[in-house]
Amino acid sequence: MNHQTVIPGKKEQTINQAFASNFAKSMFLAILGLFILTFIGTRMFTHIDLNLYGYMVGTIVFIGGFFYRFIAWGERPPTKILIKKGMKLLFKKSTPATTVNHLVTYKFIWNRGIYRWLQHVLMGGGTILSCFVTFPLVFGWMYFTMDDNGMYNIIMIGVNVLTVPADGIIANLSYNALNITATMVILGVCMALYRRLKNNQARAEQKFMYDFLPLYLLLFVSITGLVLTFMNVVLHGFGHSVMSLIHQYSVIITLIYLPFGKLAHIPFRPLSIFAKNYREHYSQQSMKECKVCGESFVSVEQSNDVIDVLSINQIDFKQDEGFHLAELCLPCRRKYRIAQFSGAPTHQLKVKEANQNAKG
Amino acid sequence: MKQRLYIELENCIGCRSCLAACTQCGGHEERNRNYVYDVNPFVNRQTMPLMCLHCVNPACARSCPAQAIQIHETGAVLSALVEKCIGCQNCTIACPYGIPKFDTEQNLMYKCDLCIDRTKDGIPPMCASVCPTNTLQWLTEEEIEMKQKQFNLDNGKWTASMKLEGETNVRVNLPGILQGVTKLF
Ligand code: HEM
Repeated sequence: MNHQTVIPGKKEQTINQAFASNFAKSMFLAILGLFILTFIGTRMFTHIDLNLYGYMVGTIVFIGGFFYRFIAWGERPPTKILIKKGMKLLFKKSTPATTVNHLVTYKFIWNRGIYRWLQHVLMGGGTILSCFVTFPLVFGWMYFTMDDNGMYNIIMIGVNVLTVPADGIIANLSYNALNITATMVILGVCMALYRRLKNNQARAEQKFMYDFLPLYLLLFVSITGLVLTFMNVVLHGFGHSVMSLIHQYSVIITLIYLPFGKLAHIPFRPLSIFAKNYREHYSQQSMKECKVCGESFVSVEQSNDVIDVLSINQIDFKQDEGFHLAELCLPCRRKYRIAQFSGAPTHQLKVKEANQNAKG
Repeated sequence: MKQRLYIELENCIGCRSCLAACTQCGGHEERNRNYVYDVNPFVNRQTMPLMCLHCVNPACARSCPAQAIQIHETGAVLSALVEKCIGCQNCTIACPYGIPKFDTEQNLMYKCDLCIDRTKDGIPPMCASVCPTNTLQWLTEEEIEMKQKQFNLDNGKWTASMKLEGETNVRVNLPGILQGVTKLF
């Protein structure tokens, strides 16, 4: 008899054991990070703009919702695989180009229509630029000072990065940054709303909570923001304090909604880079050949991953012939089904699919 | 009153009206999402349509890492949500019937959505509306039961469902072939 002694390995001590859950850990680290940045940025809390305090609380609630949603989502079997393999391939040579294409220029939305591209660039660009301005202000990472000599200083993380004339172009752009971005968002949202009234596909599928609410929220934020400027400039500050609260409220509601509705695509979308890398990388490694016609149609890795994910979901498409349906190329899989219906060996016949595009 | 797409496969004459009609559906952006096949082209002229069967437990949606494939309250399995689809194409590999199409340029999957803009209001999908040979029909549960009685199939072979990979919302039938009678159209 062969006795094998299993030495009980000392249970590995990792930092993860200090937390009740992934959620608690992510939350702790994120808030710690914010705290440290704020501590440095505000020169030990001496330059906090207390007008913006509500945003700070809003951001922290948002981070909670965001981690909750992201972690729940990451637990789904296909998502888990994609995230795991995507992380490994993150430093692929083509990553920067894909990132620019997917997250900056949005070429693929352009291909869906220039109107849709423009509406998204206005909305997305406006929102992202606004965030670049507001978050640093809220957490004190950026603030402005004015010297006696009419010069205007932009200070980031406690360092004076730029000194410009207070009536110059750059200073004016920075005073008006949020007015410009708000105008962009309003234009973009109006285009999106118009499309939602006209486009049949959109009209068929859209729901108030999912499709309209985010647009109204963005509109609400942008308009109340512009009204603030209007009150300052034209009404000499009349009603400013009330409107400031309304605006703050609108931003906080939007932030809290963000992880749960359509706007969740903002933090999740970068995974399209993982998907692209995953397909590129494993296609170069080895391609799956169709079990019927022998043509390569997908990477071996992806075919196997899909089979695994389906089996976790108790779905098994193994056939009597011995192959899994995910091992057939798409035309063969369709013809195989016709063969199952009729009994004739449609998938075995070397005949190309005829006229499947309703042209002629 | 729930209606379903009901397919009598062997009525098909291969006219491809369903493909053309599909392109004209409001939300389909002039791209059809269904297929018509020659069954045994060297032997006879029989053709059959193939479209999404709208699985009750759809493999496409289960394999989607982005939760982009939604199931409508009518049971229709919809095209990928345009802002969620990340272009991994798992759905095309997972589908047991090879139905979803992928647009590389748009980085987006699209598929039969049972003309949801119509069927959500009880209007038949485009393909069933135009089919000249009653291959594709839009029927209530009672009408489907009537079909069952009409063809008097008590041999357990009523639908071709035993050849399907799980329960589907679309009902597929081959009355002629299963009864051993030839149907000529
Ligand atoms: C991370 C970068 C982002 C990516 C890759 C991305 C991607 C997309 C895509 C592909 C769509 C579908 C567009 C279409 O087919 O018409 C979409 C829609 C949308 N995006 Fe983004 N997005 C990003 C950032 C943002 C940001 C920052 C906002 C800010 C508000 C935003 C707001 C929206 C809205 C409101 C829609 C829906 C438009 C409608 O009503 O049809 N997105 N996004």
